[in-house]
Amino acid sequence: MIVAERKPFEDIKAMIEDYNKILVVGCGECVSVCMAGGEKEVQILASQLRLAFEEQGKEIEVDETTLERQCDKEYLEEIKDKIDDYDAIISMACGAGVQFLAEMYNNKSVYPALNTCFIGVAEREGEWSERCRACGDCVLAETGGICPVAICAKGLLNGPCGGTNDGKCELSKEKDCAWTLIYNRLKDLDKLDNIREIFPPKKYSAQTTPGRRIHEAFKEKE
Amino acid sequence: MEGECHFLEGNLRAKMWVTYTKGLLDEIGIEPERLKMFNLSSSMAPQFKEAVEEMIEVAKKLGPTKIQNKAA
Repeated sequence: MIVAERKPFEDIKAMIEDYNKILVVGCGECVSVCMAGGEKEVQILASQLRLAFEEQGKEIEVDETTLERQCDKEYLEEIKDKIDDYDAIISMACGAGVQFLAEMYNNKSVYPALNTCFIGVAEREGEWSERCRACGDCVLAETGGICPVAICAKGLLNGPCGGTNDGKCELSKEKDCAWTLIYNRLKDLDKLDNIREIFPPKKYSAQTTPGRRIHEAFKEKE
Repeated sequence: MEGECHFLEGNLRAKMWVTYTKGLLDEIGIEPERLKMFNLSSSMAPQFKEAVEEMIEVAKKLGPTKIQNKAA
């Protein structure tokens, strides 16, 4: 899932304090699961904004809604009839959702309430860790299912570097060395020969910016 | 009592969320002391009374906020 975290409250409040009527829009997908921008977080932020503005004696109306997701037009269309009632929108989606919302309602000022962090997994309730950089050229088949691009601090394809130390990264004793993890996994799989292969320079061209992918079935045939 | 909830780890989880919520109050300029969690069983009426009195004292000491009921 895409993992995000909420921006500091003061930053969000500063973005919208010149408006009179705000809609806070949540997203029911990834950011809901990682407890950053789902229905509950929308309620919390909207309540905080109402309370904070009232404490300051400012009259700002803050309404709230949470869509199934913000990365599909059909769900964004659900607010088309009421969006003109608002001066500005706060989106609690990931960066993709915020942009799609802003693109669809391009006469409205749309502000992000989250910082999008990474593609990751839930380690346990309330804790997530990165697993993927969406590089477009997956090497997991060779590395025992552990991604050196995302987990190695240097993104090394031919590791480990000289900074590996008792299985930890030189950057932090809390951070596992990706290449120690890869070595141990390949050893368990009896595929240590994989680590002797030298990876050629990575195809960074696969990580197109901006990325666009069309499913084979939807491509126009000549 | 803490860690001995009828719902297993329920009051430990509640403690975590109360701590988080105190942070939310602090962010918007409301004194976090206005919220406090007490671990009580249904048979602890005297302690419940003491907890209520403690919170009344906190509210009196801090005074009213500018927030009216309509905000939340």
